[in-house]
Amino acid sequence: MSLCARAQSAPPEFSADIVSHDAAGTPGAVSKLRVANHKARIDPDDPSGGFFITDTEAGTAYFVKPTQRLFMDAGQSSLLSRIFVRVDPHDPCRQWQAAAIASGALSAGNWRCEQVGSAPADGIMEYRLLWPAQPLSRRWIDPHLEFPIKLQSPEGTSLMLENIRVEAQPANLFAIPADYRKLDPRALLERIKHSDVWAAPDR
Amino acid sequence: MRINGRNHLAWSAGAIVSFSLLATTVGFADSKDNDAADAAKTESPIKHVIILIGENRGTDHTFGVYKPRGKHQTISNILSKGIVNEDGSPGANFPLAQQFLVAPQPAYYIGAPKKAKMAYHGNGQMPQPNTNGAPSAQGTASAPFTPAFLAEAQALDPSPDFTTNTDTILTTGFTNLATNSVDSRIPNAGVLPNGPYILQGPNISDDDYTGDTTHRFYQAWQQSDCSMANATKTNPTGCLNDLFPFVMATYDLGDNTVPAVQKNFSAGNSMGFYDAEQEQASLLKTLADRFALSDNFHQSFQGGTGANHFMFGTGDAAFWSDGNGNAITPPANEIANPNPVSGTTNKYIADNNFSNCSDFAQAGVAPIVSYLEALPYRPEPNCATAHYYMLDNTNPGFYPNGFRAPSPGAQNMIPASPVRTIGDALNDKKISWAYFGGSYNDAVALSNDAVTAGTAATQNSSTALGLAALADPAHSLGVAYCQICNPFQYATSIMGDPAQRTAHIKDTVDLLADIQAGTLPSVSIGKPDGLLDGHPQSSKIDLFEAYVQQVLDALEAHPKLKAETVVFVTWDEAGGYWDSGFIQPIDFFGDGPRIPLLTLSEYSTGGAVNHTYADHVSLLKFIERNWKLKPLTDRSRDNLPNPKMRDDQPYVPRNMPALSDLFDMFDFDHQVKQPFLE
Repeated sequence: MSLCARAQSAPPEFSADIVSHDAAGTPGAVSKLRVANHKARIDPDDPSGGFFITDTEAGTAYFVKPTQRLFMDAGQSSLLSRIFVRVDPHDPCRQWQAAAIASGALSAGNWRCEQVGSAPADGIMEYRLLWPAQPLSRRWIDPHLEFPIKLQSPEGTSLMLENIRVEAQPANLFAIPADYRKLDPRALLERIKHSDVWAAPDR
Repeated sequence: MRINGRNHLAWSAGAIVSFSLLATTVGFADSKDNDAADAAKTESPIKHVIILIGENRGTDHTFGVYKPRGKHQTISNILSKGIVNEDGSPGANFPLAQQFLVAPQPAYYIGAPKKAKMAYHGNGQMPQPNTNGAPSAQGTASAPFTPAFLAEAQALDPSPDFTTNTDTILTTGFTNLATNSVDSRIPNAGVLPNGPYILQGPNISDDDYTGDTTHRFYQAWQQSDCSMANATKTNPTGCLNDLFPFVMATYDLGDNTVPAVQKNFSAGNSMGFYDAEQEQASLLKTLADRFALSDNFHQSFQGGTGANHFMFGTGDAAFWSDGNGNAITPPANEIANPNPVSGTTNKYIADNNFSNCSDFAQAGVAPIVSYLEALPYRPEPNCATAHYYMLDNTNPGFYPNGFRAPSPGAQNMIPASPVRTIGDALNDKKISWAYFGGSYNDAVALSNDAVTAGTAATQNSSTALGLAALADPAHSLGVAYCQICNPFQYATSIMGDPAQRTAHIKDTVDLLADIQAGTLPSVSIGKPDGLLDGHPQSSKIDLFEAYVQQVLDALEAHPKLKAETVVFVTWDEAGGYWDSGFIQPIDFFGDGPRIPLLTLSEYSTGGAVNHTYADHVSLLKFIERNWKLKPLTDRSRDNLPNPKMRDDQPYVPRNMPALSDLFDMFDFDHQVKQPFLE
């Protein structure tokens, strides 16, 4: 199947493991990824529990805590939810920048993102990113999946998709139950300021 | 055989012999399961201690109207004293609880001159209950949540914060009143007479958020109104507890201007109480009916949360240091001066958190030390030279993830503490232990965020975690983790050592998991987060009950573990609530008013009420006796002897200062298997 043929059809649904590696390549934490259409779900390796749902079509990124029947804007809670989303393989920078700005991690300007080389033999496309006041980082995209498959930090640590399985994903994995409520951390903070938990001088 | 306190054993030779044989030849290390904690030899059949600590409820506030169910049991409370009737209405002896106001004085005092005092008279003259900062309406973002938020009764998974125990009551209890206004839900609010009033009526119960009342060190001493001029045979320390609303109404009142400026709205909130005989705090009442309750257990430190938890964990007070164990003077803005602002009735000049109580010249120190010196048993203030002690809530010098604040003075955080903790003592004996703080895992995540963002190095940790929560909503509940409640978070030996921190500082979910897995440590300390801790205004008493029930339910499912476990349920302090009980001053720092202590085990059943004098440090003494540990340091309060109580004065030790090790709340020859709850 040619790359052109792939680009004509909808990108496949799939699941994968997001595996972190240190600079020496030693694997560490494993998060679970599921992707369907314009949505991605990430179940991070985090003792606090919960998962991220991103929707590139709606422009939303939420963190969901089923045990507490809550969801909230993902904000900057995880780099994963800002990077591992469906992208246009020929113009991912625009989406990455928008996601970074929406999360509050980046203000407009001083952002550089560009493809390295062109038309590689294996089809994997490499991009390099220069963030304000940070060294270069690199990302790789699989144009067939229309999805990033690797991130490498300036320090050499990386996040990689492994055990990729192209298969249909249950739609309910990407839905937030209707009775879940959205939590606003600001309101939570105001309540906590009335307790003895809050010991800042402004109490 | 009922195992009495050490002093009782001294005159009971038979008890000594029989108990020693039991402990040394048979011991209590013969359990046949795989529980590692069973390997440690103990002086009793108790192999596991779980201490659950709620927030801000006093004994009369919670059990003021309670009638013991145990045979021939008595209790000291406002019902037994005739201050109120069983329905909570004023009783024949209501004037015993009357409160006073005091004419302006030139300096801070703790025993108000009699000539300067005048009782509030006439309905409504005493400061009235106030909503203060209690939530006005249901919200969708923070408790109390709307019913839709928790419409499904069953959570998808067990969770310490939102379970079937709590999901309903997290949706209820808002005031529907303006903040800082008279709390008209309380019957007759606005015209209440001078004395305690019941928090019960058509519009208010234990399921409602109520206004908080300030509970700080110098305010609490002043409210207690202690003077040897007041001493009597039944109250030999002369603490009258009769300035509660007055201090709340005046310590922050700028009445030297017209109009006066009132920044604090505690007003008369300190006088509210629940009626356990009318289904208020019903879970606590049921536990008291079925197990053992102390009516002479006290907060160990006058004032608030941080210092009381620290005393619980160390038997001592924290002091300002260079971070390497050497006492130094804190920044000027940390030093308290409770003397009145000129022209005001009682507005404190500087309501700050630290005092050098070894120095008589320091504001606020002399009245307390002079009083201690006047007591017949002359307790030592226990104030080391040039040490500035933490009297009020100050965040630890460590973040929850172990990050050490580089400029604690500038960040309003106390430098890392060298004070030895019960954790250190248990480590020395290789006895397992853990502190389980609600939402701790989220707090660690927020701390990591704050370190990355750089705010951990410059901001107070509450502020930095709050900022992190806004950027990292997924872990925002970490702001509800109580840093000042964890005495080990202050300690260099624990928080400064990643291995120690990882091994011993955990989340509530880990407590439940350990019970389930049979890996419960020998000593466990459980502290709910700020939503469930029962603190007025930000939580409710029934939310803390739900937290307790969750732990008890977990234990109930493991009968073998339950059989060798005692669960102590207590509070950090009375939260500024008035109490009618006797107070034994031990040193400069406390004791303070009574708080309930419930002792739940198969060896403490039957609804007994124990009168032996005790405070938070008694919990340390229990651990130390059971696992054969020595007192933590040569100055820690666990060095105090067990009280020698007397029949004619059952609440006053003959050998003050003295603290129970709580062993006399058990009968280790009488094991009764019964459910925690009916």
